[in-house]
Amino acid sequence: MDSRLGSVAVEIIVNGEKRAAVAEPRMLLSDFLRHGLGLTGTHVGCEQGVCGACTVLIDGQPARSCLTFAVQVEGAQVETVEGMAKAGELSDIQQAYRSAHGLQCGFCTPGFLASTQALLQENPDPTDEQIREYLSGNVCRCTGYQGIVAAVRSAADARKASSHGS
Amino acid sequence: MQRVEDPRLLAGRGRFVDDVAFPGMLHAAFVRSPHAHARIVSVDASAALAVDGVLAVYTAKDVDWLAPLVSSGPMRDDVCVQSRTPLAASTARHVGDPVAVVVARSPYLAEDGRDLVDVEWDALPPVVDPLQALEPDSPLVDEELGTNNICHAEQSAGDVDAAFADADYVTSIRFHSGRSTAAPIEGRGVVAEYEDRGGGRYNIYSSTQMPHLLRMFIAPVLGVPAGRVTIKAPDVGGAFGLKCTVFPEDIVIPAVARLSGHPVKWIEDRWENLAAGVHSKDMVCTMEIAAKADGTMTAFRGRFVTDSGAYSSVPFSPLVDSQVAGVYLSSCYDVQNVAYSIDNPLTNKCQIGAVRGVGWVPGQLAREVAIDRLARTMGKDPVELRLQNMIGPEVYTTPFGQTYDGGSYAAALEQARDAVDYAEFRQRQLRAREDGRYLGVGFSPFVEPTGWASASAAAGGMPIPFFDTASVTVETDGSVTVTTGLHSDGQGHETTLAQVTADELGVAMDSVRIVYGDTDSSVFGMGTYASRSAVLGFGSIRESAGQVRDRLTRIAASLLEADPSDIDLVDGVARVKGVPDKSVPLQQIALFGYFGGTARPDDIQRDGLTATAGYDPGETYANGCAAAVVEVDVETGLVTIEQLAAVEDCGVVLNPTIVKGQVAGAIANGIGIALLEELAYEDNGEFISGNLINYLYPSTTEVPSLTLHSIETPSAVSAGGVKGVGEAGTIAAPAAIVNAITDALSPFGITIEKTPVTPEYLRQLLRAADHDRNKLVGA
Repeated sequence: MDSRLGSVAVEIIVNGEKRAAVAEPRMLLSDFLRHGLGLTGTHVGCEQGVCGACTVLIDGQPARSCLTFAVQVEGAQVETVEGMAKAGELSDIQQAYRSAHGLQCGFCTPGFLASTQALLQENPDPTDEQIREYLSGNVCRCTGYQGIVAAVRSAADARKASSHGS
Repeated sequence: MQRVEDPRLLAGRGRFVDDVAFPGMLHAAFVRSPHAHARIVSVDASAALAVDGVLAVYTAKDVDWLAPLVSSGPMRDDVCVQSRTPLAASTARHVGDPVAVVVARSPYLAEDGRDLVDVEWDALPPVVDPLQALEPDSPLVDEELGTNNICHAEQSAGDVDAAFADADYVTSIRFHSGRSTAAPIEGRGVVAEYEDRGGGRYNIYSSTQMPHLLRMFIAPVLGVPAGRVTIKAPDVGGAFGLKCTVFPEDIVIPAVARLSGHPVKWIEDRWENLAAGVHSKDMVCTMEIAAKADGTMTAFRGRFVTDSGAYSSVPFSPLVDSQVAGVYLSSCYDVQNVAYSIDNPLTNKCQIGAVRGVGWVPGQLAREVAIDRLARTMGKDPVELRLQNMIGPEVYTTPFGQTYDGGSYAAALEQARDAVDYAEFRQRQLRAREDGRYLGVGFSPFVEPTGWASASAAAGGMPIPFFDTASVTVETDGSVTVTTGLHSDGQGHETTLAQVTADELGVAMDSVRIVYGDTDSSVFGMGTYASRSAVLGFGSIRESAGQVRDRLTRIAASLLEADPSDIDLVDGVARVKGVPDKSVPLQQIALFGYFGGTARPDDIQRDGLTATAGYDPGETYANGCAAAVVEVDVETGLVTIEQLAAVEDCGVVLNPTIVKGQVAGAIANGIGIALLEELAYEDNGEFISGNLINYLYPSTTEVPSLTLHSIETPSAVSAGGVKGVGEAGTIAAPAAIVNAITDALSPFGITIEKTPVTPEYLRQLLRAADHDRNKLVGA
């Protein structure tokens, strides 16, 4: 991308793959992912750190890619929505969102998926109140959150059931 | 049923407008007015142009070859026609009004350039108060018009004055419905390229709900025939009515693509979305009810003044709010004496456009808040008072001439009442008050026109013909392609429309593909808004698929040597009724349809297996009721929604999951309107809600788990009895919540006169109530 303030090479590990591109120091991680690396699954909703659409996992922690400079994550592990489905198969969380009608337009969805993944890693058996509290940093304008909370609940329940079964 | 569109959206493989890129593409940023009202003295772009990578700065002068963007509103003589240049030429009329555009190699550089463009302004007195704007001595927002009022209109039916003169009770309220907007998570965006071929043509990607109408409106401004403009609307990240507006940026970006010789992309930022898209529902309402001693409501009278902003929006104009607040005033009530007046004063604010629920929301607030007031005045139960005055379930013509297609008006209210355990709630409310806790319940039954088409639009005072077409093709291998001019921005048309096509043709759903969102490949259609797509999509597909099905049946009959009336088409196979082994697969029928030569009926030789048909139904009206149970913390003014129940009757339901999703999303929006969302201007017209820290969305912690019920009253007029859904919850929820808060605080006797009902506003009311009470005690 054309630059005014000089550029640096940034190398990050995205979805397990080492990727490098040139970025201005002021370039946001969201723009670096989307336009530098072509990973357009991460969406930008406000660039103010409020809506949560751009949420990705940085070293396993959910973070706003619109409030993070690309140069800050040099060498870090970044997980985006593109890494969730394996070999064309939706992950259990993605499938739960589909089954529970947890998305409509799909624009906020990648951010919700990232937050859900982090929530279930931290707390595999959250209450509905804990789900709502954890996801309160992501906004969805379409669903009224009914399908989203149900999706997270069912993904957690399914994981619990399968771990009891094994 | 799982949605067809979900896998790509869940995997991050959707294609939204900002995901589109062309080789050599440049990026645009708009220079916008920081003033509410100011004359542009000069624009100095030299510092911006000195930045490496900034290629050009264009002002109104550079695009003076564009025709003006004209808002004529609905086809009515009493609505002012307003013209504007896509970039403000001499005067900026609201904060965010675009005056210049910077084109650069990257979005960052474009914004650098934008910040360096030096505009010299001469500030003019702003018009901020909509009522003052109607005064004869008010400064004018648009001198050319000679008035600030885009439209004054009045209508009455029955004898309203006599009913008020004979009334035992008269209730009168003033209510200011706040200024909110759609604010979809994806803002607006345009990517345009100009191709110097075929006399010059534009290829435009746009985040729009109405590709064909957008093309129809911008082609003449760009000075080319519509056929030389292609609009592609890829995946759209929410719209809610915002994106059924024609914006200056929709014209400026193609124009500068032509001027610069490069494809140009503009992706709106959140400040622009909030300051310069469309606003909605900002209406000063007065509502009066006349009633007899027994509780019979005999007359409604309303006045609705829409704070219209600086421009009459294209295509719907501010009447999309004021007119519909007025003309549907009687709603589900058997009130025969009805009158309203509307005014649409321009002010130096962002324009008013069509946003989910439009003017039904303020109209519903004014009426339902007034009915609760009447009930309190009379000492009557608000549910009983409503039921006493409600119309019956049969087809009904309102005093203003809308003909409802049957509905569950009383049943919906009764079901909502039962969903919140109303009788038990009243006991619980009393007990809670003894503990110093303030609970309240509120109800809001509604009727809304849904399948917005010629008849419903005319009945609503917006007499524009609205219809849609669909084209159904059974391909040579028996798979099915449907094209429609409707658009999907979350509604799941790829699923629902495939489902109805599959049902109609007797094929598997996954053999049907729905094509939309591209004016080159889709048949003409008016787009998706106004809860219209289920009715119009289903109707137009049923008609066109029915024609194709008839052809398939006749081919199958000839192949099976049977009578067409004996052919069943199910699961992609045609069978002869009662003769299970006589069958032929659709693939074979289709192949014969294309290549059966003269053995085919004449019409199939001529038309093949494609049929295109339009649909323009009669008036359809959904109805329902919202009921809210809230708790108000009187120390902080914070309102917590304990329960929100909604009963929805949108006629025959095509896809229950999607209908529920529409209702839930609309209710969340209604919660925002009631409690949170406010686009605020200072007294000098400065805009102070330009980010999501000040403009608050409802999140997971404000929207409770919803209680959703459904009643199905088939429409008496539409194909399949479908009525349509989308806006219901947004219309119903705010009034239910406001009534619940007022009920909770009834010991304090406060009167809520505006939305959003913020903690600050409630504390102010409670402090005043305390003050009054102390004065009484002191005296």
